[in-house]
Amino acid sequence: MRFLLCLPFMLATWALAAASGERVSVQGNLPAELLILIGTLFILLAALGMLRFPDFYTRLHASTKLVTLGGIGVFGGSALAFSAVQASERVLLVAAFFFLTAPLSGYMIARSGYLRGLEPYREDTSVDEWGACGEAEPSPGAP
Amino acid sequence: MIVNLALICLALSIMLAVYRVLRGPSWGDRITALDFLGVNVAVLIVVTALKTGFTAFLDAALIVSILGFLSTVALTRYLLGGRVMG
Repeated sequence: MRFLLCLPFMLATWALAAASGERVSVQGNLPAELLILIGTLFILLAALGMLRFPDFYTRLHASTKLVTLGGIGVFGGSALAFSAVQASERVLLVAAFFFLTAPLSGYMIARSGYLRGLEPYREDTSVDEWGACGEAEPSPGAP
Repeated sequence: MIVNLALICLALSIMLAVYRVLRGPSWGDRITALDFLGVNVAVLIVVTALKTGFTAFLDAALIVSILGFLSTVALTRYLLGGRVMG
């Protein structure tokens, strides 16, 4: 029950933030509204692609690339809206970390899937130029 | 209004990603969906900070995004047969 000790500090922080009058709002900020709307629609399209695509590689394509495009919209719009309370540099920090790591994680997932031998959906139209599909040694206990 | 619509879209995409985590035919689909889920939760926290006006949520979004990336890297390195660290 020791974690309950942090509760008064959280309440005090929230009360200070609520009483300081620094309210941020996107109401009437048309570029921020448009950017957030476009970004979330792209993220919803990515989820739909991950639901409907037939293959591991196509699902990875939909997830990685569309989420990167949607993150531009949401983080850009949030940075525009948070510039009223001088907090937009933290949003830009999250966005910079996200743009550094999203292609890297997609690359690592695709490489591990290829080297462990997950097969593509349609063999007759796909060309395997590397020819190393399924050559990696699995870990003991790995699926 | 726009923020509520964005929250609804993000919640719907999180539900679809959870379906892919539970259903996914191979382990690669599960790792992909977990990575997507981490990014989605970070974006959801940023939009929640925009709705409530409480800027301490942005630090939480940074932490969630770091944890999602590190878990993806650890899972892929484990599945490739190497060590996770070192």
